[in-house]
Amino acid sequence: MSTKHKIDLYALTWRLPIILWQLIFFVGPVVFMIAISFFVVKNYRMTEAFEFVNWQRMLTRGYFWDSYWYTLFIASLSAAIAMMLAFPAAWALAFRASENLRRGAVFLLIIPFFTSYLVRTFSWYVILAESGVLNAMLGYVGLGPFKMLNTHFGTVVGYLTLTLPLAVILQTVTMANIDKTLVEAARNLGCKPLATIWRVVLPLSKTGFVVTALFCFILAFGDFVAPFYLGGSQEPTLPILILDTTKSGQQWPRAAVVAIMMMLTLFAVAFTAIMLAYRKPKVAR
Amino acid sequence: MTEPLVTFRNVEKRFGDFVAVRNMVLDIHEGEFLAIMGSSGCGKTTTLRMLAGLEAPTAGEIRMAGRLMNDVKPHERDTPLVWQSLALFPFLTARENVEFGLKMRGVGAAERKRRALDWLDRMQIADFAERNVATLSGGQKQRVALARSLVMEPKMLLLDEPLSALDANLVIRMQGVLTKLQKELGITFVYVTHSQSEAFAMADRVVIMSQGDIAQVGSPKDIYRTPANRFVAEFVGRNNILSGKVLGGDAKGMQIATPQGTFTAQTPQTPLAPGQSVSFAVSADLLTLSETEPDTVNKAQATLISEEFIGSLVTLFLEGADGMEFKVQMQERALMDLDLSPGATLWLGWDAASASILSEG
Repeated sequence: MSTKHKIDLYALTWRLPIILWQLIFFVGPVVFMIAISFFVVKNYRMTEAFEFVNWQRMLTRGYFWDSYWYTLFIASLSAAIAMMLAFPAAWALAFRASENLRRGAVFLLIIPFFTSYLVRTFSWYVILAESGVLNAMLGYVGLGPFKMLNTHFGTVVGYLTLTLPLAVILQTVTMANIDKTLVEAARNLGCKPLATIWRVVLPLSKTGFVVTALFCFILAFGDFVAPFYLGGSQEPTLPILILDTTKSGQQWPRAAVVAIMMMLTLFAVAFTAIMLAYRKPKVAR
Repeated sequence: MTEPLVTFRNVEKRFGDFVAVRNMVLDIHEGEFLAIMGSSGCGKTTTLRMLAGLEAPTAGEIRMAGRLMNDVKPHERDTPLVWQSLALFPFLTARENVEFGLKMRGVGAAERKRRALDWLDRMQIADFAERNVATLSGGQKQRVALARSLVMEPKMLLLDEPLSALDANLVIRMQGVLTKLQKELGITFVYVTHSQSEAFAMADRVVIMSQGDIAQVGSPKDIYRTPANRFVAEFVGRNNILSGKVLGGDAKGMQIATPQGTFTAQTPQTPLAPGQSVSFAVSADLLTLSETEPDTVNKAQATLISEEFIGSLVTLFLEGADGMEFKVQMQERALMDLDLSPGATLWLGWDAASASILSEG
């Protein structure tokens, strides 16, 4: 039909705001950032150019790759820890709690997001400091004091502050939607209670769990607050590297290179994760 | 008589204040096809879940082959269940679904595969063994679910309305598959359903439940011909229920005075005193219809209201004295020479043996 090829003005009008928004606040800046990565800085001033010098400088430097692998590692590790710490709570909320308790718990888990992440991060100072609450408590049983601030441990604690409540909520919602009959069916066929987690619950939760882990990873990977304030930034993560690069000699082009590398990494990880999560069941031989 | 496979002794199941099953006494025998039937909330599914160990009785004892089962966990039992939703694992193939229970029992991979394929072949779905179950049709899924339970070689198979999701033609076919399987395997089937046609078509014995109580246990024919009480008479088939007072009687029959006239009914085992209030039921297919007064023991006049065709069977609705609605079920061709215009007055007739007295309840 000829109408198919005509532009539907009515539909376009409604779609326009989102298209404009995406163009101005997403596509535009990304294009701009890619352009900047080819600029050069002369006498502390950024000058338009098209040179590969920034890419060459960053990607051949050991400190960039050290930072890259460290960020990838610690963000993955904290995502994995968040997933594991969240699971028992989410499982109990999904399978053991009443509908009302579950609703109340999810509401309580949203409350942390009411306060600024920065404030929540700073509150860890009181707990993790050399003379803080945790060390004082450990002192009573003859342990410590341990250095917890300005360590990898501090960074992970900060990441978990950001991701753990979200992980519990998403895991709970995922598992609450599982058909409980399937768990009973497994029990009925001789599956022990704990084994149902491996045999039934996890396979059924795959999509939700992969997406949850992806969220945890993305949030940690791009986070600047936790590694800066709790990790002490001795081992700089990529966001801290961006900050340092812009502060030292106005190197916005090199910071852009780091940012693009981060984006590409997130794209690759997200793409792989989504492919994994929504992989079709095999249809035929 | 051999010892029953399962015994329920004064079993009760409460959920908070709600009594799902009350004081149940029931024996399930080896090799029988037992249907538990009732409307939703009558306790039939709870009874089945107690057999599978998914619910523990609040009081009383359930024994299987003499062993007390009250607190035996589901995975420690040999009571596979075919679920209403089938509950096939969507992330596994048909064969992997069938293998699941064997895997849980530690059967080796090769043996598992052989037995699973054997059962899929027996259910005539071997071609779909490696297909994901989500891609199978309703009837095929049904067969996978049956194979998954039967591969465990249980003494007793539990079925929870397994045919309720299928269309009418397939239901009839699966009924055939199920009864044939049960006879071949010789194992006990406990089949929960709300459908009278399913229960009566397949079962050796039917348990009718109402609000947590067993209303009657018997063969389909017994229940159909001699309903024990008003609930069963109303629930099963098309019964005409008349109420009145006992006038008197002997071993051959009881005379009962009702607003529709005085009738003779079969004498029950527990004698009734004159003056006692009583109801009796006459199955709709045991009434005769005629334009002239019949020579049966019992007769009443009624006015034709409407008729309902189900293929060759016709149900006629008539109004008798005191607004009593009579239902008569007949073969369509038996009605040829009757005047069936609405408002026509016809004679109803039935034997004393067709009228069974209902106990209270």
